Amino acid sequence: MTQISRRDFIRLTGLTAAASALAACAPDQPPSVSPAAPQATYAPAEPILPVPPENLPDLSIIALNRLAFGPRPGDLEAFQSLGATDEERLAAYVEQQLNPDSIDDSEWEARLASLDFETLNKSLEDLFREHIVENPYDDNDDRHWQWFVLPADETAEVTFLKAIYSRRQLQELLADFWHNHFNVYGWHEDATPLFASYDRDVIRAHLFGNFRQFLEAVASHPSMLYYLDNRSNSDAGPNENFARELFELHTLGAESYLGVRDQAAVEKDASGVAVGYVDNDVYEAARCFTGWRVDDDTGEWEDDVGMSGRFLYYKPWHDRFNKLILGQYLPADQEDMQDARDVLDLLAAHPGTARHIARKLVRRFVSDDAPESLVQAAADAFLAHKDSPDQLRQVYRVILLSPEFRQTWGGKIKRPFEFAAAMFRALNADFARVPDGIRWTYTMMGQGLFEHHPPDGYPDEAAAWANSMAMLYGWNLTVGVVENWWNEDEEGRRAVIDLRAQTPPESRTAASLTDFWIARLLGRALPEDSRQAIIKVMAGDYAPDAELSDDDINWRLSSAVALVLMTPEFRMR
Amino acid sequence: MNTKISRRQFMQGCSAAIAAMAGARLTNVAFAAQDSPNDTLVVVFLRGGWDALNVVPPLAGDDRGFYEKARPGLKIPDNALLPLNDQFGLHPALDPLYDLYQQGHLGIVHAVGLNFDTRSHFDAMEYIELGTPGSKATTSGWITRHLQSAPGGTSGLLPVIAAPSQPTALLGATATVSMSSVGDFTQWDNGLLAEQQVALRRLYNGDTLLHQVGLRTLDAVQAVAPVAETEYRPSNGARYEEDELGTQLKTVAQMIKMDAGLKVATVDFGGWDMHEYESWSVNDGWMPNQLRSLGSNLANFYLDLDSGYTDRLSVVVISEFGRRLAQNDSQGTDHGHGSVMLALGGAVNGGQVYGAWPGLHNDQLYDHADLAVTTDYRQVLGELLVNRLGNPNVGEVFPGFEAGGLGVFAK
Repeated sequence: MTQISRRDFIRLTGLTAAASALAACAPDQPPSVSPAAPQATYAPAEPILPVPPENLPDLSIIALNRLAFGPRPGDLEAFQSLGATDEERLAAYVEQQLNPDSIDDSEWEARLASLDFETLNKSLEDLFREHIVENPYDDNDDRHWQWFVLPADETAEVTFLKAIYSRRQLQELLADFWHNHFNVYGWHEDATPLFASYDRDVIRAHLFGNFRQFLEAVASHPSMLYYLDNRSNSDAGPNENFARELFELHTLGAESYLGVRDQAAVEKDASGVAVGYVDNDVYEAARCFTGWRVDDDTGEWEDDVGMSGRFLYYKPWHDRFNKLILGQYLPADQEDMQDARDVLDLLAAHPGTARHIARKLVRRFVSDDAPESLVQAAADAFLAHKDSPDQLRQVYRVILLSPEFRQTWGGKIKRPFEFAAAMFRALNADFARVPDGIRWTYTMMGQGLFEHHPPDGYPDEAAAWANSMAMLYGWNLTVGVVENWWNEDEEGRRAVIDLRAQTPPESRTAASLTDFWIARLLGRALPEDSRQAIIKVMAGDYAPDAELSDDDINWRLSSAVALVLMTPEFRMR
Repeated sequence: MNTKISRRQFMQGCSAAIAAMAGARLTNVAFAAQDSPNDTLVVVFLRGGWDALNVVPPLAGDDRGFYEKARPGLKIPDNALLPLNDQFGLHPALDPLYDLYQQGHLGIVHAVGLNFDTRSHFDAMEYIELGTPGSKATTSGWITRHLQSAPGGTSGLLPVIAAPSQPTALLGATATVSMSSVGDFTQWDNGLLAEQQVALRRLYNGDTLLHQVGLRTLDAVQAVAPVAETEYRPSNGARYEEDELGTQLKTVAQMIKMDAGLKVATVDFGGWDMHEYESWSVNDGWMPNQLRSLGSNLANFYLDLDSGYTDRLSVVVISEFGRRLAQNDSQGTDHGHGSVMLALGGAVNGGQVYGAWPGLHNDQLYDHADLAVTTDYRQVLGELLVNRLGNPNVGEVFPGFEAGGLGVFAK
């Protein structure tokens, strides 16, 4: 890393006097600041709200920042060429993105092919055997751990790169959405290598598909079975962990939780299904899922259990007696797996589930304060298409083509993942494998990919991300990136940004350089005072319209570009 | 005293220098002499619901029998427990806290918690931290309302820090600065940092939460910079564990010792949701390891601050609920109800177990399954507000709730 020292900075900027004054402020031992205390009070801040309709940016900005991880150079223009009116352009863009196979992604595929990932195409069984059962390295060897976590590490890394390069941007946003919805901590001690399969075979395989099928794929994948402990759920003493989160997080949501009370006291809808759930429904569902485990007889003592790492329905552990779920009676001795499948059927078809999923999607794609009308329309579509193989695609279409989608801007801020990917896209960064420094710095913002331990996924509201660590490390990441501090590491990992090559050679004044990069990175104007603040940094001691030397431009352009990316406007969605 | 005054004058000069460089004063901050008579509050939240019945198990009597019967694979043998009184013992992995208990600095409240019907982590945490059990419509956290309603309001250079991230209890508290560690809380310099900071203050000149957070971050970075660049040496030979909790508590200690007016710090410690394989033995496994980190780090935090700061320190340890009396077949425990809270500080009436004990007979259990709640968690916090934080407005912090006198915190 070629960080410029304070001494260089003093020499280069001629601010010796001021800098010395600051340097003198570093206290001697022990380091204890201050002061004297302040009397100011901290007024409550205004909430982050959508802008008024007259301040909406062009629809291309809305689309590329909410249906994609921000625009790459050329994306806004490509959007404009999709039709004659906003409606036509958005409809065409949404249809493309809803059908990812129709999008030519060869640029990304070529890059991917050059990056030498080792584990991403391995089957679940191969991951289990090669990285768990037959790990070639000794327990005490660091390589044992590295080999064990490699599939999860590679999944996180390739996910980061796909967000930057894949043209199937909606697919990437949806993968992120569903990974958080069906959250699994990627480095769970027993299941780490299997995460590559969970990402590919469960999340990505179903995200445009049918929710009921998605749900069963999640419930029966070893990553989830390990993560929420259902792999040890047996009739001898049921483990409620998975069953509770199935109700609260995966389907009905906390808004349908009626607490600790008698099942018989819960109101039923016209078809006799309870309108919400109580604790007893959770216990009964846990009983239904007894015996859903993993084929992992690590102790080699169980009959009929092998070592494939696959899902296993293990009848000796299943509670065979009758159960009551959401007011529905399930008789004893149903056929294999039927009890749990009945639970999934009930949950997937429940209006509470439709609203819960719809609200989360609207919050993700439109605004933190999800408009109720749109939530209901999306929930209606969810139920109307509940048996179709592309149920979820139908729901997305309702949301993305809604007037609410087009007429809302700024009611959300980019989460760290969106922020980082948007920055690399806007700067047209050239990545090989992701340098560790970038991963570390990005993670300091608080949203390491697949690193959320609790089962609720990362929060999706501005208040959760408007905090100083996300702010500070967003700034730090920006500075490191524009300065090319990660342009090569020992393993050939790198990200390179060439700002001069992307700047028109005729732009040579602070004002024109700043204006070019504001338009280029934001696609819209900044408030005048913000523009002036950035011009001042670009200009240094010169006038805004004075022609700058190459040395001046080389010295200051990165800071001016960084500041555009550091604006609150860049964080808006 | 002399050095303090000169340091103050020195620092005032510095803030002027920073302000001159920055082209703006530190946002929202004006310097003036003031010494708060109130404690710094440190809230350690154990995320996931800790198994209170194995933290402070019954030691004798019928309840000991119910406990042992319900937990054949998880019970802590009575001869391994550290006796707290005739009735209860402390998990041996909390040994470092046992000394503080005997010295009277640590108090324990049993059968305490959220008196509301839920076994959901996320519901329970939200209700506890909003301070309004049963309502999620509240737009501020309980600590936020404390900061707003305390006489004198919130002031100070760095009045509130959250390690590592801002919890719901601080929802809407604009003074909050989140910080993973002091050393990492630095803004990187490409040679033009000072000029960038001037520009950033203009870019973030606005009233929204996003703008305010930007300005607070700039203030905090500049305030912390002198400390961030030096290695921290804890007092009294205190040694924090090299884990997340250790880093966070060390950060809080550093911020307290900055004398920059820290009023509240929150610390999150996750990983308590032990549905499976809670422990291999009394001293080995998931739960013992978590407890060892908690006990060792808290004890060292107290030792570190026992250099003139503990008289104005109140630490509260809380979790969203305790766990089921009966273990499951995965050698773990599922979500329960009544829990244990810890109170640590110079003004804690320690060495006692507080709270009415409801018993573990089936008829005494909540929903015939869990330890009941006989003490509302707000009673502990309410008393703390009044006796240690100088805030008599408990009704504003916890609407509709009146704090009774438990006596955990001395006036």
